[in-house]
Amino acid sequence: MSTGENNALPKVALVGHPNVGKTTLFNQLTGERRKVGNYAGVTVEKVSATIFTPHGHQLELVDLPGCYSLTPESPDERVTRDVLLGDFAEEARPDLIINVVDAASLERHLPLTLQLIELGLPVLVALNQVDRAEAKGLRLNPQVLSDELGVPVVACQATSGKGVVQLKQALRFPLPPAAERRWKGSAALEHAIADLSKKLEALGMERPEVHALQLLGDTDYRVKVQPKLPREAQIAAREAAAACIKENLVPEDEIIKLRTQTIRRAITAAAHTMGNEGETLSDKIDRAALHPIGGWFFFAAIMFAIFWSIFRFAEIPMHWVELGVGYTKDWVGGLLPEGDLNSLLTDGIIEGVGAVVIFLPQILLLFLLIGLLEGSGYMSRATFLMDKVMAQVGLSGKSFLPLLSGYACAIPGVMATRSINSNKQRLLTILVLPWQSCTARLPVYAILIPLLIPSVLGQTTMMFFIYFLGTGTALGVAWLLSKRIGVGEAAPHFLLELPPYRLPDFSYVFRHVLDRGLAFLRKAGSLILGIVILLWALGTYPKAPSGEEQDQFNYSAMGRIGHFIEPVVKPLGWDARLGTATLASFAAREVFVSQVAVSFAVEEDEDDEDAFRAQIRTAMTDSRKPDGSPAYPPLTVFSVLIFYIYALQCLPTTAVVQRETKSWKWALAQLAGMSLFAYLAALIVYQGGSLLGF
Amino acid sequence: MAFTTELERDSALNLSQAAVGCEFQIKQLDGPSCKQLREIGFCEEMRVRKVSNGRNLICAVCGTRLALSHKLAEQVFVTAL
Repeated sequence: MSTGENNALPKVALVGHPNVGKTTLFNQLTGERRKVGNYAGVTVEKVSATIFTPHGHQLELVDLPGCYSLTPESPDERVTRDVLLGDFAEEARPDLIINVVDAASLERHLPLTLQLIELGLPVLVALNQVDRAEAKGLRLNPQVLSDELGVPVVACQATSGKGVVQLKQALRFPLPPAAERRWKGSAALEHAIADLSKKLEALGMERPEVHALQLLGDTDYRVKVQPKLPREAQIAAREAAAACIKENLVPEDEIIKLRTQTIRRAITAAAHTMGNEGETLSDKIDRAALHPIGGWFFFAAIMFAIFWSIFRFAEIPMHWVELGVGYTKDWVGGLLPEGDLNSLLTDGIIEGVGAVVIFLPQILLLFLLIGLLEGSGYMSRATFLMDKVMAQVGLSGKSFLPLLSGYACAIPGVMATRSINSNKQRLLTILVLPWQSCTARLPVYAILIPLLIPSVLGQTTMMFFIYFLGTGTALGVAWLLSKRIGVGEAAPHFLLELPPYRLPDFSYVFRHVLDRGLAFLRKAGSLILGIVILLWALGTYPKAPSGEEQDQFNYSAMGRIGHFIEPVVKPLGWDARLGTATLASFAAREVFVSQVAVSFAVEEDEDDEDAFRAQIRTAMTDSRKPDGSPAYPPLTVFSVLIFYIYALQCLPTTAVVQRETKSWKWALAQLAGMSLFAYLAALIVYQGGSLLGF
Repeated sequence: MAFTTELERDSALNLSQAAVGCEFQIKQLDGPSCKQLREIGFCEEMRVRKVSNGRNLICAVCGTRLALSHKLAEQVFVTAL
């Protein structure tokens, strides 16, 4: 989202470690009014809001992605650094930073505070979690800390709203001046900083001293390619660092040492420990949740509860959506006379989009449950446990959350891979993720499985088998690809913060779920709407001269395409109708159901989706080949099922993979690879089954 | 900040070898992942308690639980308190 409309407003950025309570504080300061967009050129979410200070001034508050330091490891952290350095062309540099710090863990948080002060921007420290710090026996003096750091410090507890008013009052105009750097280096280091600043200034760079310090303090920033930094600046910085090293001075080590000394001095003056921390509630829960054996039971129980509730509770709102679609279709159908426009609106648009929107409740529920797990702190424990399993196939424990999200929808799953530090492990996770059985595949399974197995128990077992096959293949292929991509040597070591257990921030979780829901509806309203209109047109025109619905499919453009591609799908045991339905669902697999319905001229029953599916199944079971044998024997149905388990068939996923990997090569290779894999698997199933006499 | 001799490094106690349940002070960080360790909160002179062992071990630094691999823990040199 462009910030164009807020260009004139002063900008305040919230910066802090992940899990420090930044978002809760953002919600407290803004009253939960916020805009969500993306930073230009990267898929990193930008959250901002316009607020008024108690003195009546309006300003823009931006919640920057969480980071441990300004020497970034992930794309999110890079955005934070580049915005703060003023190197993000599309994003104005903030006028003030609110640095959210965990009062109970000052030693871990103040290194970032010092780096922020060194940026030459006014900084306001929000000392969050003061209640937790006091409960741990820590006595803090914000005024002394403020004197030590040279910036205002406000104590607060974001979860209860304590100190939020004081924080707002501290945002008074004119904004406080930027503080001076809190440490002074050796003569050699200060000389190197001054010298490099001059060179950067000569290169026309803005804020030369800030950039000079950043370049000397972060090896990666001066060595690795930085899209937002001129190459000449890096060359100058490398020369400066080399000159320092010649004098036995490693600039980054010296800078870290100076910052550590400054922090120790500040903490000694401002914080006193009154007693030792006993065993916390989190420790007690962790004894069970991270137990080498018991922890797995805990994990399995939570995963079972998630999947059980998705299938059990989502049924109710799904039925409401069904009814809503039915009534809308009836109502719109009644308003217009019979004809092509009526058919386009009811059979094409409402039915086609409705067949997709019906899965919204399942997607929302899965995201809600994942959000609650993340918000409660358990997701980090699951990541910790799963690292053992994931490492066996070349993935990281951090691949677990994206893969779990993949059961709902591959798109947020692919986006969630941003937390994986290793580029190779991230790529590997993205490549295998669409094999997780997403909810869009469910309508296809709902048609096909009862054709294979009549009993409910058998159908449930089959569903389990499908999920197992998808996930098993994803992990197996990850293992094979990890050898080729060379993940082993490059994988960074596992390092993860396990935040204390807490009540999730429900408003944040609900908002997140709402955003996901809206994104899904946007997809249904744009891409899928386009596809269903196209499919309707291809199935409706040209009109069969007989006017009979049964003849219409063969006569239509869609039927002709189906016959054209029949030789390709025949070895899979499919006929032209199945071939067309698969071709039609290449951009979005959910379209399979509406396409099969159109090709068999099955009218949707507005009140009963089950009856509609049963009609499709009856039409398929009753279909006969010219020789009188069934057109869709179980082996054919199984071959279709296998194809849908493995094929990618989701255009938005391919688009997101391209955006995330910044490479059409990987996105198209994934599409081609998965399609070919699906075709070969279906071929092997059908031909192998035929040879065995099924 | 590195050890001056290999012998000195080999004879120092690292977090991977340290006993579970005990409290230590970080003496030195030495190895290729120092930057990553410092960022998440391991710094010289900080107190650290080892909570559990396993494929990845858990320790408490400044009241925060951190999980890290043994390869990383081998780069954190500690002295018993």
